[in-house]
Amino acid sequence: MEKMTIMLVDDEERFLSTTKKLLSRKGIDLLTALSGAEALERLGFHDIHVVILDVKMPGMDGMTTLREIKRQYPLTEVIMLTGHATVESAVEGLKSGATDYLMKPADIEELLEKAEEAFEKRKRLEEKIRVAQTRLSMKSPREILRETE
Amino acid sequence: MKQDRYATMKKTILACMILVPVIPFILVLGVGYYYFTTSLESSTISSMKRIIEDHRQMIDSFLRERKADLEFILNSYSYDTLADPERLSDILTQLQKKSSAFVDLGLFNEDGIHVNYSGPYQLAGMDYGQEDWFKQVVKEGYYISDIFMGFRMLPHFIIAVTRADAEGKRVLRATIDTHTFSGLVKKVSIGKTGEGYILNAEGVFQTERRSGGNLMDTDPDNLRHDPDEPGTKTFTQKDLRGEDSFFATTWMQEKKWLLVVRQEKADVFRDLRSAAYIIALIAVIGGGAIIVIAFYLTHRIVRRMEEMDSEKDRLGEQLIQAGRLAELGEMAAGFAHEINNPLQIMKSEQTLIQTILSDLKEKGRIEESEDLAELEDSVRQITLQTDRCAEITRSILRFGRQGESEAKDVSLQTFIPEVVAMIEKKAGVHGIRIEQELARDAPPVYVDSTQLQQVLLNLFNNAIDATIDKHGVEGGEISVEAARSDDGKVKITVQDNGCGISSESLDKIFSPFFTTKPVGKGTGLGLSICYGIVGNMGGIMEVSSEQGIGTAMTIRLPPSG
Repeated sequence: MEKMTIMLVDDEERFLSTTKKLLSRKGIDLLTALSGAEALERLGFHDIHVVILDVKMPGMDGMTTLREIKRQYPLTEVIMLTGHATVESAVEGLKSGATDYLMKPADIEELLEKAEEAFEKRKRLEEKIRVAQTRLSMKSPREILRETE
Repeated sequence: MKQDRYATMKKTILACMILVPVIPFILVLGVGYYYFTTSLESSTISSMKRIIEDHRQMIDSFLRERKADLEFILNSYSYDTLADPERLSDILTQLQKKSSAFVDLGLFNEDGIHVNYSGPYQLAGMDYGQEDWFKQVVKEGYYISDIFMGFRMLPHFIIAVTRADAEGKRVLRATIDTHTFSGLVKKVSIGKTGEGYILNAEGVFQTERRSGGNLMDTDPDNLRHDPDEPGTKTFTQKDLRGEDSFFATTWMQEKKWLLVVRQEKADVFRDLRSAAYIIALIAVIGGGAIIVIAFYLTHRIVRRMEEMDSEKDRLGEQLIQAGRLAELGEMAAGFAHEINNPLQIMKSEQTLIQTILSDLKEKGRIEESEDLAELEDSVRQITLQTDRCAEITRSILRFGRQGESEAKDVSLQTFIPEVVAMIEKKAGVHGIRIEQELARDAPPVYVDSTQLQQVLLNLFNNAIDATIDKHGVEGGEISVEAARSDDGKVKITVQDNGCGISSESLDKIFSPFFTTKPVGKGTGLGLSICYGIVGNMGGIMEVSSEQGIGTAMTIRLPPSG
């Protein structure tokens, strides 16, 4: 089974490093980025399944980053991490393609749970894509016949 | 300061309300009185003029006729006939049949000897040769005398005519009855005091005057009418008693006699005066009514203004309070948001500590000890307190932004019992009775039912806490009422008989973080959130409370539609 890779994007350095330590203890590899720009850059190098994205960041903010990620890497699942305990920003994120949202302060367990749900979703999606592609490459005998005519 | 302003305003309004109707009122009365007086005066004067003209003609023609009578006799009968006492007596009788004014008749020769006389006196044979009238009649041909005493010592006047022919010069004289003559002008009667009389050129009465003045007395009024002035003269003059009178005078009988018509002014204006009394009475009553109404209305207006001003002040204060609350809410929301980041880190750190601790224990690198137990307890406490912080920030954020709400028509008659059902059990445990009074005409409200439920639950919970504080587990009472209020809004009141709220707390009751509950029991956000929610619904929330007696929380919401 493919191992899940997560990237946490937040402007709080200490949050990143502590979470990284915690997850590595659980045997999960966590990539981190301090800004939206850095996150996009790292996405180019790594195959990342789930991105956990802080909504409020200096520079490129969470929403912009989300849209950019979805544009460039549509298969990447994004979970929004919001300091605003409001449905508004969550709804806006979900509309822009986020898979789920989390409210700060969030438990690590909760965070992992949501990440895994997202990963499952992605896996299902990839499966569907694979099936579809297989169908496309496996042509029916009738089609082959038609092609030879 | 404010009272001064109201006093000034009151004075201004009062002055306007009194002066504006009173000034035209007085002007109308004044102008009306002036024109009415003037027209009455001129009509009185013109009627006096008419009367005097009529009477002058009448008297002139009377004198002319009497003179013609005598001339006729003198021309018709010979001297001898007239000198015969019996014939003269016959002629007098004939004459008196025609005019009762004739008293006697006498014939004089050219020397002034009274040749023949017929009448009540014994005057025959007397010599009148030196009398003024005789000289005049001989000279002028006729003579009409003023009233005089003469030989008989009685006031009378005479008409005499003369004739000269072959038989010589003779004079016929008749005495005119002063009563009959006086009667001509005495008939004049206008109003109560209007009268007519005749004066001679020296101002001596030729007829009796009704208001006092005997024949041959001098007129005390001393009227002045220049004989050269033609026609009728009218004027006003004070009489001897000091009464203002209208006079009309005209000369007649070759300017020897002055005909006077007189009426007292007071008499002329008598009707006007009684009208004036009525008008004055109306003016007094009307003016009084105006003043009373002005006072009443001014009082009402100023009172209303005071009320409106205080209402305005109250609204202003409410607005400031609402603004302050909104500002505080924004600030609190921003603050809560910022706190969430450090809280997130603290949570992560604490999780890490716990993970490491349990790892160490598992691997046996740390022994179970009292110190370890204390450490673990401490870490648990950190978890607990961090969660508490998180709960607070969430509440603040909920207060700051209500987020999306889905409004729909909510019927209070069914909605409130549903909410009551949710807390009935909790109330019942503490012996609290809940009463519902839901007016049937209370209209539905257009709100988010979840939010309204949150507000009502909050109010109920507060009420329950307050009654438990006061009564323990018995005797608590909570009532919820819904009704249409006078201003057309829908009023929901939750009232309890709990411990009440002190007046200093009452001012801060809707402020965030204000709580009277012990530390850790309440965030102090409940009512401020409710306040925010109700505000968003377009309603207002009010509180009234008396310490030790109870509290009533009232929500006023606009009706749907």
